Amino acid sequence: MKLTINNETYDVDADGDTPLLWVIRDNLGMTGTKYGCGLAQCGACSVMVDGVVTRSCVTPIDAVEGQEITTIEAIENDPVGKRVVEKWVEHQVPQCGYCQSGQVMAATALLKEIENPTEDDVEAAMVNLCRCGTYNAIHAAVKDLAEGGAS
Amino acid sequence: MKKLFLTVLGVVVVGAAGTAWIATHTPSSPFDNVTASAPSEDLIARGEYVARLGDCVACHTTPDGKAFAGGLEMGTPLGSIFTTNITPDPETGIGNYSLADFDRALRHGVAADGHRLYPAMPYPSYDKMTDGDIEALYAYFMEGVEPVSQANKPTEIEEPLNMRWPLALWNVVFTEGEVYQAKASEDGMWNRGAYLVQGPGHCGSCHTPRGPAMNEVALDESSPEYLSGALLDGWYAPSLRNDPNIGLGRWSEEDVYAYLKNGRNEHGVVFGSMVEAFNNSTQFMSDDDLMSIAHYLKSLPADPDYDGPVWAYDEATADDLSRDVADKVPGARTYAANCAFCHGRDGLGQNEWIPPLAGVSSMLAPEAESAINVTLNGSPRVIANGVPDSYRMPPYREHLSDAQMAEVLTYARSAWGNHGDAVSEEEVAALRSHTDPASIDVIILQMR
Repeated sequence: MKLTINNETYDVDADGDTPLLWVIRDNLGMTGTKYGCGLAQCGACSVMVDGVVTRSCVTPIDAVEGQEITTIEAIENDPVGKRVVEKWVEHQVPQCGYCQSGQVMAATALLKEIENPTEDDVEAAMVNLCRCGTYNAIHAAVKDLAEGGAS
Repeated sequence: MKKLFLTVLGVVVVGAAGTAWIATHTPSSPFDNVTASAPSEDLIARGEYVARLGDCVACHTTPDGKAFAGGLEMGTPLGSIFTTNITPDPETGIGNYSLADFDRALRHGVAADGHRLYPAMPYPSYDKMTDGDIEALYAYFMEGVEPVSQANKPTEIEEPLNMRWPLALWNVVFTEGEVYQAKASEDGMWNRGAYLVQGPGHCGSCHTPRGPAMNEVALDESSPEYLSGALLDGWYAPSLRNDPNIGLGRWSEEDVYAYLKNGRNEHGVVFGSMVEAFNNSTQFMSDDDLMSIAHYLKSLPADPDYDGPVWAYDEATADDLSRDVADKVPGARTYAANCAFCHGRDGLGQNEWIPPLAGVSSMLAPEAESAINVTLNGSPRVIANGVPDSYRMPPYREHLSDAQMAEVLTYARSAWGNHGDAVSEEEVAALRSHTDPASIDVIILQMR
């Protein structure tokens, strides 16, 4: 099966129902995307599929064949993603960092869809869990991005 | 006057004698006076297959117990009853059963000591099984099953309701007591399917509505109510007829085959009580048998009167779920945050791995129990060909309140062209307490 990840095409030897997360981490060795709950609830495994935030732990690979998958490794190749990472650094968001690749994905996907999201939009989109409780820092960074525009 | 009195007395005496005869009579078996000879390996193997067809293990085994040792609690309106030990242990099991005793239990609901079984044992279906299948099944249970010494638990039905003899009268009214008769007007495949569905498969135990005496209202396709869907055990077992909304109307025979063989197809994945039927029974059926079942079920006509207007996909919902309007539709945000990552904003699921919510019976049926139950409690592990599923519905019991769950289910039952009724907070609360795993009195199988 052929998967397009970060603008590269990979020939993957795995069953159609294999979770995308397994392929990204185990078959392809890109470990920036994390395994959290395995149930689409926490968001640690988030990637973008055609620009839409997707939980890779519950995404069978045969459902994303031919679509453009973006992982945290290539997020800075995206102008919006680059700006999100910069703001993340500026606001010193991460503590342990485990959930942060997913948080960055959620923020990037939001800003790609809505350039100047309202408070409500942010609340609806930023639902990833963080055990360290960095929610205030995440909120500050996203607010900064929302007000300044993503470009 | 005296003559009238004598006439009435005569009628009463004859009636009472007749009732007593029925209540105490041991039905005859074609195996009476037959001594079963040592069975061949082939017969035992065939019996094992028949045990798979009948899914004996599902009820006669507890989740952590030994196979066929019984003990599973079944809730009835009168009190709990427990399934029995059907291993060949002579003390606590059925080791002393003759072939004729075994036949009477299976096809007539009468135990070796003469007491009547509760019809939780699906003998109204098993009575259609052939002599050959009964003989093979007996061979398997005597020679192919490990004996387990485990005493049966007494029923918790109080006196005098625990008297068993009235069941003999129940049997006269509600069972047919006849081996399946092939219909000459239908082909062999149809007849094999009908035999499997009505007889050993006992599909109607869950999928046919029950009457006031807990009897299945129909036992074969001569009634339009047969397999027309029923509420049982906190789940809505959908119609298996050609109803496009709540039944198999939009499924092909190959779809039905794939569902029973693999536990999934593009229309859905087994959940609720069907997981047990799939894990223990249907996947072990031969391809020919599964195709026969599919062929038979697809011959059962739809009933538009109760199925309602035919569902058609409405793609507008997916657009509505984009963030700027999501908040305006109650339940949409909850759906987007909790459900959409698997089932999709388009409600179409992901290939055959994650089921759609668009156009499925649980979202279209007036009964919302299955939708509520699976959301509260998630889905058990589906094991196909020895391999556990990659994706499973998680329980949202601790995650969503009654109000949130009612709102999100009402949303899903009205999105993508679905036209199921709204779900109320009270319905969710009732099923939540009824299925609470933390309760000290949780009943695994609820007959009503």
